[in-house]
Amino acid sequence: MVRMLLTGNAAAAWGARLADIDYVPAFPITPQTEIIESLAAWFADGTLQGKFVTLDSEHAMMTAAGAAAATGVRTFTATSSQGLLYAMEALYTIAGWRAPLVLVNVSRGLSAPITLGPDHNDVLAARDTGFVQIHAETCQEVLDSILMAFHIAEDSRVWAPVLVNLDGFYLSFTRESVDIPDEAAVRSFLPAYQPKHPVFRASQPMAQGVAVLDSSIYSYFRYQLHRAVENAGPVHAEVSARFQAQFGRPYGAIETYDTDDAETLLVMAGSFATKGKAAVRHWRRQGKRVGLVRLRLIRPLPVRELTEVLSGRRAVAVLDQSLSPGLGGILYHEIAAALAASPQRPQVLRSFIGGLGGKDISQAEFDYLLEELETVKATPYFGQPELLFTERDRARVRQQLALAGKSPEGG
Amino acid sequence: MVLRIRFHGRGGQGVKTASRIVGTAAFLVGYQVQDSPVYGAERRGAAVVAFTRFGEEAILERGVIEHPDLIVVGDETLLANPAAGVMVGQETATAIFLNAESAQPLVEQYALSPSTIAWDLTRRTQAIVGVASALSVGLAAATARLVGLIPEAQLLSAVRRELMELHLPEGAIAKNLDLASEVFNALPSLEFPLRDGQETPQKISSVLYEGLLRGSPSILNTGNAEQRQTGAWRLERPEVNFEQCTRCGLCFLQCPDGAITLDQNGYPIIDYDHCKGCMLCQTLCPVQAILSKQEVRSW
Ligand code: SF4
Ligand code: SF4
Repeated sequence: MVRMLLTGNAAAAWGARLADIDYVPAFPITPQTEIIESLAAWFADGTLQGKFVTLDSEHAMMTAAGAAAATGVRTFTATSSQGLLYAMEALYTIAGWRAPLVLVNVSRGLSAPITLGPDHNDVLAARDTGFVQIHAETCQEVLDSILMAFHIAEDSRVWAPVLVNLDGFYLSFTRESVDIPDEAAVRSFLPAYQPKHPVFRASQPMAQGVAVLDSSIYSYFRYQLHRAVENAGPVHAEVSARFQAQFGRPYGAIETYDTDDAETLLVMAGSFATKGKAAVRHWRRQGKRVGLVRLRLIRPLPVRELTEVLSGRRAVAVLDQSLSPGLGGILYHEIAAALAASPQRPQVLRSFIGGLGGKDISQAEFDYLLEELETVKATPYFGQPELLFTERDRARVRQQLALAGKSPEGG
Repeated sequence: MVLRIRFHGRGGQGVKTASRIVGTAAFLVGYQVQDSPVYGAERRGAAVVAFTRFGEEAILERGVIEHPDLIVVGDETLLANPAAGVMVGQETATAIFLNAESAQPLVEQYALSPSTIAWDLTRRTQAIVGVASALSVGLAAATARLVGLIPEAQLLSAVRRELMELHLPEGAIAKNLDLASEVFNALPSLEFPLRDGQETPQKISSVLYEGLLRGSPSILNTGNAEQRQTGAWRLERPEVNFEQCTRCGLCFLQCPDGAITLDQNGYPIIDYDHCKGCMLCQTLCPVQAILSKQEVRSW
């Protein structure tokens, strides 16, 4: 094992390298490009054996990735934001093929207006594709999750693609201390890929991704994909137990932080959960019984784990770094639905939107959120999602609107 | 305890590398570390910011450092440009390090905190490394010494590691190691009081529907790009010698930024708020009537 400072992007590249990938189709996009640059260098100097191919778009890249995975080679690729959306058709397609590959998405807010900072609207747009979805909080978790992701994807109970998400800038360009496991240890955790199912091979004719005009057959296969992604829940639990036994780092479908005696919980995902933990630490010092739940596995949604940890609490806030216009926070609605069947569901479940396009979330905004939970001014469920926004943000907007020639009064 | 350091400089002065050397050095000492640059106008001469945080416990912070303990400034000319944000959070900073010949005039001119320390990195970098703008190692060495928690040995290992990663030849690395030692031993160590992640107090503002015009990202008064003073990115300044200029108009036609206009008599007038200092005009001028004047010392 070597411990080094690595950016989230470098950690992703190391994860792929240690997984001994055979094939990488690539297309650049900020803030992901460093991942494929690192891999390209390792393929070029012979560190990695296999094939690195630059494609002409993310759509072609994703299709090539699926086709390669269908031949039984270990396939890795990465994209971000607009690129993920451009590949969207192929995401559904290759998940439907049941092509077990790993895709890294480096989150970045979607256009328009165009931005480079991270939020989760890009990755959550892929939540219905049939990809398993894992969200990392730290650079270490990026590397570890990629190793686990190949395991999950290639498990016969799943045999579906896995997406590992990391936030642009806050992780992609930030170096943190990362343990890079030994190759031998990784090989024993994740042996070389031996597909146990028929794959495309020379002199072994088969067809994949066939047209199905009959709706019952279509329904059947789509539902099979649902079952497969559901299976990724228990498989994730097994794989993380093995991972912990081998490398000592535990990864649950959800992570709990100071939840034991907490009356109030905050639910977050991704690297901003670190800021949420700082807020919890701050509140704990004031004697407040608050904790944090971080969603790591988003597909399959860990309904049982969420219900268990959230039930019996007085109030829960879901802080979404995404926004579905006309609905609100995406994870909020998923969690509210997950809790519907729990008789002990929290009395209050509030939706907050923060960190869109990478906007920082200050302690003042966290404090406001907690105050709102404590006072319960609005409806306890499905109230208006509140945007975490400060007077300072407002001043910036006012200044820019004036520059753009917009009147201060509205209209 | 977390120590927060913010580095400022211009694209090409090694600010990101400085933040990485300090990060690696602190990591080698055994601290928890986080370092990151902010990418913006990624070009030579534009203002660049990078951050290093380190401490004994897990760092529960991410992103920009608004209230640094130490502000490290590679280029004093950035002080004149408020958009560079060099002074943000200086009220709570324990110290400011300036790469400059002397602190006093700058402290007065820009109302900097009296605990500003200046040292002429440019001169020594030029003398030892041979490139005045190669400030990364000097900035990192100054930082390591000022914070007082990083011994020289770890600093030097970090310099070596980071420069090797950039594929610098051994000779250049050796010179940089000499520079690192000299800077490290020339500066004092300071005491940094422990403090929590400090923030500017903020009020919450609720967002309601504001109508189509204010609610959509359109621009009604176009042409406001003029307000972005890209001249701040300039390292060299073109100056026309009107005695020699034949008014051929070539520079006016070819300036890629449209920063040259012609006056009534056909003489070129340079708009220094927007001239980025590419010096194309100087290269093009058939009679060498355009001279270059260096504006940034560390280049
Ligand atoms: S230096 Fe470049 S930008 Fe400036 S006036 Fe000359 S050609 Fe234009
Ligand atoms: S190119 Fe030289 S001679 Fe021609 S107008 Fe410009 S400064 Fe004058």
